[in-house]
Amino acid sequence: MSTEENVTLDKRLMLINFAKDPEPFIVVDTDKCNSCKMKPCLYICPAEVYSWQEKLNYNTEGCMETGACLVVCHKLGAAAITWKYPSGGKGVAFKSG
Amino acid sequence: MSLEGFEVAVVGAGPAGSAAALTLAKEGVQVLLVERGTFPGAKNVFGGRIYSYPLKNLLGESWREAPIERFVRKEGITFMTDDSAFSIEYESRDPEGSFTAKRAKFDKWLAEKAEKAGASLITESRVDDLIIDGNRVKGIVAGQDKIPTNAVIACDGATTGLARKAGLVGMLEPYQISMGTKDVIELPSEVIEDRLGLDPEQGAAHVFVGSCSGGLRGGGFLYTNKDSIALGMVVGGEDASSNQTQASSFIDRLRKHPKIKRLIKGGRTVEYDAHMIPEAGPKMLTRPYTSGMIVAGDAAGHLLNNGYTFRGVDIAIQSGIAAAQTVLDARKRQDYSENTLRGFQTRLRTDPALKDMYTFNRVPAYLRKSRLYSIYPELVCAAAEAIYRVDGTGKRKIFKELRAQAKGRVSIFSLVRDMIGGARTF
Repeated sequence: MSTEENVTLDKRLMLINFAKDPEPFIVVDTDKCNSCKMKPCLYICPAEVYSWQEKLNYNTEGCMETGACLVVCHKLGAAAITWKYPSGGKGVAFKSG
Repeated sequence: MSLEGFEVAVVGAGPAGSAAALTLAKEGVQVLLVERGTFPGAKNVFGGRIYSYPLKNLLGESWREAPIERFVRKEGITFMTDDSAFSIEYESRDPEGSFTAKRAKFDKWLAEKAEKAGASLITESRVDDLIIDGNRVKGIVAGQDKIPTNAVIACDGATTGLARKAGLVGMLEPYQISMGTKDVIELPSEVIEDRLGLDPEQGAAHVFVGSCSGGLRGGGFLYTNKDSIALGMVVGGEDASSNQTQASSFIDRLRKHPKIKRLIKGGRTVEYDAHMIPEAGPKMLTRPYTSGMIVAGDAAGHLLNNGYTFRGVDIAIQSGIAAAQTVLDARKRQDYSENTLRGFQTRLRTDPALKDMYTFNRVPAYLRKSRLYSIYPELVCAAAEAIYRVDGTGKRKIFKELRAQAKGRVSIFSLVRDMIGGARTF
């Protein structure tokens, strides 16, 4: 057991089980994001599903299903995100919670 | 399982949903409990503590079979700067009033209780829509299945999917949500007991205000499980978005504080959790009912953060019970219209536990004062430093010291106004 843990987000996400949903449950109209000033999704998401490299990129495989991106995108951002939960039995599963 | 012949569909097997299903099943109602996770609790995240009273209401003495981690004996709060901490701690006489738990175990257990009472549980099933006929909800749609029922109880959580489909809520505002993140850090139980000064099987709950949130609305929390510490941060949705700070970074900031470092030293992080907390209270929805449907738990804003107690699960269970009782009234009258289901509102306002939500309805606005997260914690720590330090340069009496420390940080007018406001709010 190490005494000084260096816990990064990547390491944290490795601790959680994700069952991939073949159907996309988050769809972003990324053209809209180009004119988005605040880009709040980049900050609110605890799993950093969203990132910016010249345009908005997103990878739903680490999604923790909080739904917060939808709220901030529609109220502070470009209303570009369409979001629903993954199909039954898919997506994130916590052991502790 | 045939999906015909159910009188009531309960969506979501969290605390609200399972409590509703259990209450209905005990009265012989044919109730279907639908959960999208592989098991009840798989998707559910909280800070760490459950108040016991609603379980006694629901289950009598068998509430003790709940998967309890530790009964909470110690309550504490710490005001912190990056390198100092001012803590207050209280040891309760009756630790059985609340306990720490893991949702993956607790929610599963409560749903099993509902099943044993006669509710039918289906898992791995996402409810996509409502069957709506005119302005009446007449059932649910899950994948290919259309399931007609007399009533739907929507306990589908903070994203309020079904309430939105029924036209009871628009999109929440960013200031009406918070983002909670949490690390679960494994440590031997004796180490936890030694570091927090606990007897075996007894636990601690602690909150942190100040530098950990970087001056943004929010704070930290710590709950002791048997063999782990649940350590987390909650930060306001509007603040986290507009300050361009990653929501996941706050927990690292908390972990770096010397007081926290000491508590979790040598621990192994075994899980990372996150949850969106709706903070608007029951006024989040225009109303928590419509013809053929009631909304309960997080989905209806039925939870309470009054600044010093954080109540999600207990309020959700009571809200689920109240929803089920309203449906039982409707069943007796064979009338599931809005007119009958309006009785839910009366139950919310008169239930001795649920009316707390209305007593503290001014708290969310008060808690948006930024001074609470920056100036006041700093002031408390600076005053304590000045009071306790003896360095031969001469001491002032406490009141004079407090005034000296406040000077330049906050005007006496603001301070007094916040204190009076606080006295009226909390």
